Amino acid sequence: MLRNYFKIAWRNLLKNKSSSFINIMGLTIGISTCMVILIFVRYESTFDAHHSNAEKTYRIVQRYSLPEETLYWNTTAYPLAEALRNDFPEIDVVTQISGPVSRVFQVEDNFGNVKRFEESQVLFVDAQYPKTFDVHWLAGDLNSALSGINSVVLTAELAKKFFGLEKENYNSILGRTIFLQSKDPFTVTGVVASPPGNSDHQYTMLIPYEFFKINNEYFSSNWSGNYQGTTFVVLRSAKIKEALEKKIAGWKKKYLNPEDDKRIAYALQPLKEIHNETLYGNSPGGYIMPANILNTALIVALFILLIAIINFVNLLTAQSNSRSKEVGIRKVMGGGRFNLIVQFIFENSLIIIGILALSVFIVRILLNFLNTNLSVIDLQLELGWSHVGILLFIGGLTLALAAVYPALVVSAFKPIQALRNSIRFSGTNRFNLRKSLVTFQFAVVQLFVIAAIVLAMQMNHFRETDLGFSSDAVVITETPEFEKLEVYRERLLGNSGINKVAFGSGPPMAVNGIQLGTNYRLPEQPEEEVMMAEMKIADIHYLDFYDMELVAGRNFLGNKEAFDEFIVNETLLKSYGWNAEEAIGKKIQINEGQATIVGVVKDFNNNSLQNEISPCILLNWTYYQSNAFIKISDANHLSLGVIKNIWEQTFNNSIYDYQFLEDSIEKEYAVENLVFTGFGIFSILAISIGCLGLFGLMSFMISKKAKEIGIRKVLGATLFENLSLFTKEYIGLVALAFLVAAPLVYYFMNQWLEGFTYRIELSFWMFLSGGFVTLIIAILTCSFQSIKAALANPIYALKEE
Amino acid sequence: MLLQLRNIFKWVNSGGQRLFLLKDINLNVEEGEFISVMGPSGSGKSTLLNVIGMLDNFDEGEYEFLHESVHALKEKHRANLYKEYIGFVFQSYHLLDELTVKENLEMPLLYKKFKGTERKAMVADMLDRFNIVGKKDLFPTQLSGGQQQLVGVARALIANPKLILADEPTGNLNSAQSEEIMALFKQLNSEGVTIIQVTHSEKNAAYGSRVINLLDGRMIK
Repeated sequence: MLRNYFKIAWRNLLKNKSSSFINIMGLTIGISTCMVILIFVRYESTFDAHHSNAEKTYRIVQRYSLPEETLYWNTTAYPLAEALRNDFPEIDVVTQISGPVSRVFQVEDNFGNVKRFEESQVLFVDAQYPKTFDVHWLAGDLNSALSGINSVVLTAELAKKFFGLEKENYNSILGRTIFLQSKDPFTVTGVVASPPGNSDHQYTMLIPYEFFKINNEYFSSNWSGNYQGTTFVVLRSAKIKEALEKKIAGWKKKYLNPEDDKRIAYALQPLKEIHNETLYGNSPGGYIMPANILNTALIVALFILLIAIINFVNLLTAQSNSRSKEVGIRKVMGGGRFNLIVQFIFENSLIIIGILALSVFIVRILLNFLNTNLSVIDLQLELGWSHVGILLFIGGLTLALAAVYPALVVSAFKPIQALRNSIRFSGTNRFNLRKSLVTFQFAVVQLFVIAAIVLAMQMNHFRETDLGFSSDAVVITETPEFEKLEVYRERLLGNSGINKVAFGSGPPMAVNGIQLGTNYRLPEQPEEEVMMAEMKIADIHYLDFYDMELVAGRNFLGNKEAFDEFIVNETLLKSYGWNAEEAIGKKIQINEGQATIVGVVKDFNNNSLQNEISPCILLNWTYYQSNAFIKISDANHLSLGVIKNIWEQTFNNSIYDYQFLEDSIEKEYAVENLVFTGFGIFSILAISIGCLGLFGLMSFMISKKAKEIGIRKVLGATLFENLSLFTKEYIGLVALAFLVAAPLVYYFMNQWLEGFTYRIELSFWMFLSGGFVTLIIAILTCSFQSIKAALANPIYALKEE
Repeated sequence: MLLQLRNIFKWVNSGGQRLFLLKDINLNVEEGEFISVMGPSGSGKSTLLNVIGMLDNFDEGEYEFLHESVHALKEKHRANLYKEYIGFVFQSYHLLDELTVKENLEMPLLYKKFKGTERKAMVADMLDRFNIVGKKDLFPTQLSGGQQQLVGVARALIANPKLILADEPTGNLNSAQSEEIMALFKQLNSEGVTIIQVTHSEKNAAYGSRVINLLDGRMIK
């Protein structure tokens, strides 16, 4: 029996090659897309969940309350770790890390050649780190490897790169020495596997925290201020979290000064929530994938799967017309409805299982593609056994909807009608199930298309908005030694391709997550009334370089070791209600010292456009002029080579690196870019699936209406009139779908845009053009086949059996 | 007595009027008869055949088949009844295009729970009897109309029915093929199978033992 079913299923598939292809393609695209999204979501929502202590590990975060605002920090004062360790027996492990940072190393390989490498993922960790987080040791002893001050642990990849290891005999390099910045020697004490991609702790090298402390004695013993140490604790049990938070709240006054004790509240953030929580953000080197984006992705995945399944069902029931004769014959020959249900479920399941297998294959290719081509974030997606659940879920849903329903429809045909080929699908004019499915499908397609248009406009807005400073053709390089700044400047300006050079702590807009913060107040104000400002070190060329406009006062006269001049932005003036002229000559106290306001600069976007402009103070300090800003004038970037040469001549020490300011700004919108790219791809996929479905449905409609076309043609209808016979129905459905989709998109897009300070206004044309695009595509798809039908000779259509 | 129809009426409602498809049909069929149903288009021949074959319902009257009251039977029992005792032959053959000759013959047996070996023997027997062994692996579209109808008849016979219902079995065939099929029917009838055929042709009707004439749903004599 099954063999018979199998045979007939296979032969039917081959007989209707084109419609089988459409059917299989549509569902394969849908299932593959859905799987890829689910795998991505799973990947992004299981960051650091693989550590064996993950359930009871927490990051210590702090809420910093100022009179005007509350700040949320994911780093804490350095001595906190030691204090927690000493005072709380209920905390099993306390570990603190710093970094990752970029450092240059010098290594001598087996042949005595000295090589230099710049490593950007150097993490400072203490001896408790491997007890908190799972580290896979390939060589060395986990208990002692990080206890010496000058020990270093490398990942296998780095070990190979440094020492040219050919075989995996990592033990052979234990005891070898590498030099940090050519001077501090480190002994290799361990080799570990690289951390998995879905971990926020990405490192290629682990250096003992002790070394960091000795070199940063002031920071590491200072309780006030915030110096980028990230503290993690492993509790005895997750249940004591709240009690512990309360206890810490009462305990912290033992160490913090009274001011800080009032402002700072510590909290325990579960390790598994870090990656998806935007409030505290991620530690340096990691990125955040907000939970609401993941939820949206899940909804998108389900929708895409649903429209693909709907398509499949629609096409199957439409094609079942051609199977009606078979149903009739089988029933007359003694087949019961149950037999037929079994047969068709079996047949459909066979196709679906085939499609699932094909999808798994395609998903592998897609994941590879994503891993290598998605530049916004670094993904390491892989198809593993852990995804069987996802596959079962999708497969089960598809089977339940797409295998069973068509089988029920087809098996219900009455034998005599089926044999006469006169099965009537419930009313061609009434609003039947197939039409509602098509409408639903179009609604989803329009949802995606309109969303993609809105996202594109917002992304464009980010690029086009006047930032209040010019970012064209600005190259940024580091300046490792500030004694050589003037030499560097002169050498650069001696080149015709280079127009302007300025130095400072960073570009006007904070990029790469680097922003110097400070507190400010009037000298006569008490300390508890401080407010937060960004501080930027700038030289006398900075304002001119970035075309920033002074609204009052003057530029700096020069940089000094003890700064004495401030230029502030207009936003800062608001906190005192000054106008620009009033502000000149006022003194302001910041954490680093006191100085006089000599100028007021017109507001510029010192934060990326998701956020508002914040108070900003420019200082004429000699320290922290860690970046050079170089404006190049030639379009073909020949000057880049020149800059590299000059840089290497001037600071003949480290490894050259540069970036374009515009690229760095673009990176500030990484998540938005990802969402936009995603919606772009999904709308194309949704349209493809929708078109495949429409294409298939049209072939069915045409076979049903061939006779009608024949009669109309004989009676004198033109080609166009015959075409409109098909298209007018679908235009109506697209319009109806638009009415469903538009308010939904409006709601969701409004929500999304609210997250940005600088955002576009939703306008009518975005919706209309989305609807219009869908309509045109729908009409084209319909016309493709109906033209053929409308041109056909009516004699064939009218000939009876 | 094989079957008996008493005062059978069948109608449809069309535009507020009752349109009779069958009107007061009374018919007794003995085992071994060969009956031809004749009449102009739309006179109800096919409808009568479908009612006898239990593929279609009627609105009024009584129908007994082998002493079972068909009108009182549930759908499922009715299906079992025709499954077991009736074979159908169609004007347009109605073979499944996706199955070979052999598989087409086997198909009705699948629904009657015969074992694999039994099915094979029965199919081989039929192929032999109809001289189509050489064609067993061909698909219907590779056969001539006459050959297709031969397969159609073989399929109707394979489960040893008591009654064969044939709706214009030679309607799509040329005269030589027609004669072949009618001769086959004659032979089957002589072997004891009861046959009821619908036909337009006097010549074909002459093969039968009795002729029923229908006009506008009524039997006329």
